[in-house]
Amino acid sequence: MRIGLEIHVQLPTRSKMFCSCPTDGGPPNSAVCPTCLGMPGSRPTLNRAALEMGLRLAKLFDCQVPERTWFARKTYFYPDLAKHYQVTQHDNPVGEHGAFDFRGKEVRIRRVHLEEDPGSIRRAGRPGEELSLVDYNRSGMPLVEIVTEPDLSSPAEARQFLSDMLTEIRHTIGLSGEGEQTVRADCNISVGEERVEVKNVTGLKNMERALKYEAVRQTKMLRSRRPVLRETRRYDEERKVTVAVRKKEFEEDYGYIGEPDLGVFHIRAMAEELENKETPLERARRLELQYGLAESTARQLVNTSMRLCDLFERMAADLGAKVALNVTGQVSGPWFHVKDSFDQSMEDAVFEAAEEFWRDGITDSELTIRLSKILGTHVTVEETLGLDVEDSSVKDRIGLNEAVEKAVEENPGIFEDYAKNERAANRLIGEVKKSTGGTFSSQEIVAAVKARLSQGP
Amino acid sequence: MNASRLEAIRELDRDYGMFYSLSEDAALESAEFHFSAKDNLTTVDHETTAGSRMLSGWRPPFDAAAVESLRGAGGALLGKTSMDEFGFGTFSVNSAFAVPRNPHDRERSCGGSSGGAACAAALIDGHISLGVSTGGSVSCPAAFCGVVGFTPTYGRVSRHGLLDYGSSLDKVGMLSADCASIAERFPLMAGPDRRDPTSCGHPEHSERSAARTVGVPKQSLQGIPEDVLAVFNEALEVVRGDMGLDVVEVDIPVFNYAQPAYYIIATSEASTNLARYGGMRYGARGEDLDTHFDRYFRQVRSAGFGGEAKRRILLGTFTRMVGYRDRYYLKALQVRQALIAEYRRAFASCDLLLAPTMPFVAPRFDEVEAMSPLEIYLADHLTIPPNLAGMPHISLPCGELDGMPLGMQFTADHWHEDRLLKAGVEWDRRSEYPVPEARA
Repeated sequence: MRIGLEIHVQLPTRSKMFCSCPTDGGPPNSAVCPTCLGMPGSRPTLNRAALEMGLRLAKLFDCQVPERTWFARKTYFYPDLAKHYQVTQHDNPVGEHGAFDFRGKEVRIRRVHLEEDPGSIRRAGRPGEELSLVDYNRSGMPLVEIVTEPDLSSPAEARQFLSDMLTEIRHTIGLSGEGEQTVRADCNISVGEERVEVKNVTGLKNMERALKYEAVRQTKMLRSRRPVLRETRRYDEERKVTVAVRKKEFEEDYGYIGEPDLGVFHIRAMAEELENKETPLERARRLELQYGLAESTARQLVNTSMRLCDLFERMAADLGAKVALNVTGQVSGPWFHVKDSFDQSMEDAVFEAAEEFWRDGITDSELTIRLSKILGTHVTVEETLGLDVEDSSVKDRIGLNEAVEKAVEENPGIFEDYAKNERAANRLIGEVKKSTGGTFSSQEIVAAVKARLSQGP
Repeated sequence: MNASRLEAIRELDRDYGMFYSLSEDAALESAEFHFSAKDNLTTVDHETTAGSRMLSGWRPPFDAAAVESLRGAGGALLGKTSMDEFGFGTFSVNSAFAVPRNPHDRERSCGGSSGGAACAAALIDGHISLGVSTGGSVSCPAAFCGVVGFTPTYGRVSRHGLLDYGSSLDKVGMLSADCASIAERFPLMAGPDRRDPTSCGHPEHSERSAARTVGVPKQSLQGIPEDVLAVFNEALEVVRGDMGLDVVEVDIPVFNYAQPAYYIIATSEASTNLARYGGMRYGARGEDLDTHFDRYFRQVRSAGFGGEAKRRILLGTFTRMVGYRDRYYLKALQVRQALIAEYRRAFASCDLLLAPTMPFVAPRFDEVEAMSPLEIYLADHLTIPPNLAGMPHISLPCGELDGMPLGMQFTADHWHEDRLLKAGVEWDRRSEYPVPEARA
């Protein structure tokens, strides 16, 4: 079985590919201008940040970067395509003939090119009276397309490959987790001789499913000696099957010509100046070698956060890998919640705690308490005290009643208000919620506040 | 400009049809100078149709860069001039609206595609017309109407706000009754513009030493009728004698391949540039919205485009199809590079090139009607090479034949507009340009 992928990733630039419209959307058709609406007389200007990201990815995949690159017009008529041609790259894309080291196996990269996204269409109205509404906010959004050679040999491998690739892409161009969700792929798969393309599959899970379905379908066809047609199919996410699309939809002649409105870009010097930092997977490999981490641990670490890796390496250098791993493990648990507020002083505090633990100044459980205090994760305090957090009486002991009492003191007229209208309780509930910072569920707080109010002053 | 002069222009327009739309307001009175813009340059206060029904009624949200810079220097826009639809033509007869008539004989064509612009330059005193040239659309009507038509280097003037025909060929140019007024106003619109990445600031427009040697490409005289050649040769004697320039013959063999290469590149680009006209966000709208989009586009485009536009869209679509792209489009790009190289070689031994502008005087409308599309395309034989190579050029009136003006065309190397304009101003002084009977 041979599988090749064409992967589309939206580049996280602040403005669109060929105009200065913002990329963060808004109400339909609010982030548009004459250029991305394809108005007569308007013309494109290349967003340098998009070109730079394209070059960084070309370098990430060890592509050959040409001295000169240019864009092309891909002409087809569709209502969401403002100019009825898409500005993309055909000859001389930003990168060609690269490779990606996928867990020891080389997957060849045929090309990396830049292009603009078309707008999007929403159908509205009752069946039979449907309207098609076009939103051009997406028109001109910057995309990179990465095309692999058919070097993958199973749907599961394809998924793992794409997952690894996204880890590297994310770090190289600063893609957010959300950006990853919207990755689109065209998947080429052949079990026998003939190749089938499944167009426009969104997300990793759907890609694996579509490929599996297609692998089984082709195998069955071949077993029953029926020919597999060379065709384009699409993946139906609801029914979880691939279906053939009308030939015309995808296989027309796009009549590529050079995009004369943009000119030619000399990019080799620019590419040479760009230094890609160590990527997550390169770092994972180094952590394995340098500190003797298990592969899965190293990968988990880089996948959680490169910032966390920095902390790990700082501790490992002075205190040894064992202590570093212990502490990093405890920080990684609540990482998602603390990552935005994790500043240098927090890092220093964590390091100090780790150092004390290393000097045997504090015990294992004392370390845990210290860390949770630094990170501001109250629940773990209770857990480390060995208390059953599900037992509401335990929580009460720790603070709910105290918090309610404090709120009552600060609102002297609350009992009178409550007598007139029970909704006055909401004020107290809000304050308690705030002061306990998510430690208790809403139900618990409501119950405690109402109980206290019904007792009277 | 007072009301009576404006009324006089209005009256001329009724007879000659050079304007698609004329300004009304009093702002014209206080202006430093007046200019018109070919109707494929966007203007916020006038419809911009490029002579096409497809854009009938469209008011653009921005001014073209060239219009903006002339307005910024105190110029007032007098109106929008008639043209062949999207610039597709040599005689300005391919318009969905008015066909301009020659200022020296109303039964004859103004030339094209900037026909209205040349006509306005001939009929209105002290007037500057903005034209656009893709393959000769400034030189040709200038020659036919007996005015000066100047086309700068590709990229010298921003194309922001120009309704594209062939994006790698389109150049905003100027037409006027003399070269001095062009030389005075041209610096206003020369220079780079962030909104057009193909506009260029290097080298800046500057004064070089005047030209000393003029080359006449021998290919440009092949097939020119005797009587036209005689007028040209007389002018050449003035260039040699009065102006004191050395005249040499030069050889540019690729000249003869410029025309097919031009039509392939121009129509390939045009067929993609015109793809955007689908009746969705501006201009013409289709009646039947309750249909498949394919059918909707077909309906709008069938009704909105004229015959010549359709012919060029078909031609250009054909030349970029798989299997033909290599044979036509890519080969044409190579011809263009070869032509530029040969021009360069020629400019090593001379400062300017000189040739007749058109192989005949402005034809009568009945003669135009009798011409086949191929014959019409071949009429651009002399204006195409500098346009294909992006070289600046200027057409100057150089005599008459049967009472109709003839033109000659100087071409300079890339960015050497100053030499052209200097030669043009010299020529102004030494020549009597034809004056039409009616003027305002």
